[in-house]
Amino acid sequence: MMTKPVDAAAPAPAIDVRFGQVGLIQLRIRSTDPGAILDELTGRVVSAPLFFQRTGVCLDMTVLGREPQVAEMRGVMDAVRRAGMLPVGLVGESPAMESLSAALELPVLAPFRPQAQAAAVPVVQPAERTEVGIPALMQHQPVRSGQRLYARSRDLVVTAAVGAGAEVIADGCVHVYGALRGRAVAGARGDTGTRVFCQEFRAELVSVAGVFRVFETLPPELAGKPVQAWLDGDDLRFAPISG
Amino acid sequence: MMMEGNLTEIIVVTSGKGGVGKTTTSASVACGLARRGKRVAVIDFDIGLRNLDLIMGCERRVVYDFVNVIQGDCTLKQALIRDKRLETLHVLAASQTRDKDALTPEGVKKVLDELAAEGFDYIVCDSPAGIEKGAHLAMYYADRAVVVVNPEVSSVRDSDRILGLLASKTQRAEQGNGGVKEHLLLTRYNPKRVASGEMMSVGDVKEILGLDVIGVVPESPDVLAASNAGVPVIFNDESDASRAYDDAVGRLLGEELPLRFLEEPKRGFFARMFGG
Repeated sequence: MMTKPVDAAAPAPAIDVRFGQVGLIQLRIRSTDPGAILDELTGRVVSAPLFFQRTGVCLDMTVLGREPQVAEMRGVMDAVRRAGMLPVGLVGESPAMESLSAALELPVLAPFRPQAQAAAVPVVQPAERTEVGIPALMQHQPVRSGQRLYARSRDLVVTAAVGAGAEVIADGCVHVYGALRGRAVAGARGDTGTRVFCQEFRAELVSVAGVFRVFETLPPELAGKPVQAWLDGDDLRFAPISG
Repeated sequence: MMMEGNLTEIIVVTSGKGGVGKTTTSASVACGLARRGKRVAVIDFDIGLRNLDLIMGCERRVVYDFVNVIQGDCTLKQALIRDKRLETLHVLAASQTRDKDALTPEGVKKVLDELAAEGFDYIVCDSPAGIEKGAHLAMYYADRAVVVVNPEVSSVRDSDRILGLLASKTQRAEQGNGGVKEHLLLTRYNPKRVASGEMMSVGDVKEILGLDVIGVVPESPDVLAASNAGVPVIFNDESDASRAYDDAVGRLLGEELPLRFLEEPKRGFFARMFGG
């Protein structure tokens, strides 16, 4: 890594400015009713409390269909905070966004391509993958019994074994280039398109987007082989990785 | 820890699981190093359940203990017990009347620093079982770890946990100093039961824990006899366990020695003919 030559006389700056990539949950606001918002979000949080606690979220205003009042938005933000999340930005393209941003003291973040369909209440979308992509969390040491690894908003890659009694968790996919003897959880915040891959299947438990299977015994067609697990509708499927 | 170009190495003997042979190993490894001329201090971290002094045969010579030194009731020199067989070997016994709450990170560091300043080459820390305070403090300042494992599922699982703690909750791990150097020592190995498939093999243990072994000590009645006599088994030249410990000490010092005692001892023709 190259560093600039330091001028011995100049004091070090109080803050360094860096540019980085961050993945954020989008809350697509369809109704500004705080009660409805809180109901919907609390239901989500109950299913995975740790993952939503103090998570930064963006308020996506693109489908509301009208310009909300500042007071309404404060109600929305209050409901989101009560559910345990932290509003950190606004997403929207309308002219009112600038004044909302100033009044609420939230930045307007780059708009995402809108996704599909309708519900009457705000829907929590799983973290969308940006064009640039966030590099996977890499672990090159064995994951020992009792250790837990969590890759937030990205994939997890382990290039050693995952011991019995260890847990490897990712919002994205879990890739274990070694023996998987513990628990593997992919799609921890609900992304149903994620998968678990391992080189030597001996897992105690595998979960994708909340659908899990415990392995009291290892099926002979999977035991010790390279295996992947994925969701097919509501079914969690396992198959040897051929080739 | 340095004094005039002499680096003191702190070795923790730990396991997670109880009863696998930590104290037996601490005693024999400490003696093995001292026998090769090294200045060695061996410390019992099992406050309240002290055993090292029994295994070393100095239980009737304990006047002051580890906790006394930490609390300043006595000097380190007053508490260290010189071994009668090896003059470069000293024992620091644990307290029997207190418990692990008497240990503090600062107190332990002070004692280890003082031992290093005294010029000891090796400090062997005999850890208690478990993952609580005593075990944590025994490993916290270590440069190297000998993880004692029996070829048996619960021992292996507990050792995996301990390896995780060594890699994360030690000073070397926290400071990014290259981490604690980890070694596995397989003890109570029974080749006959391995051959019949009842017991895990060296290869099985290596595969699960992902580490090479620094030694394999066969199950041996000599170990019990040694404990009873207060003479660490490494002094018994007739014993396979003793030879295995000596090999392990050699490997700790960098020697390359092939593993022995992995096969059942072959009985000679006459022994088989005439039984016995």
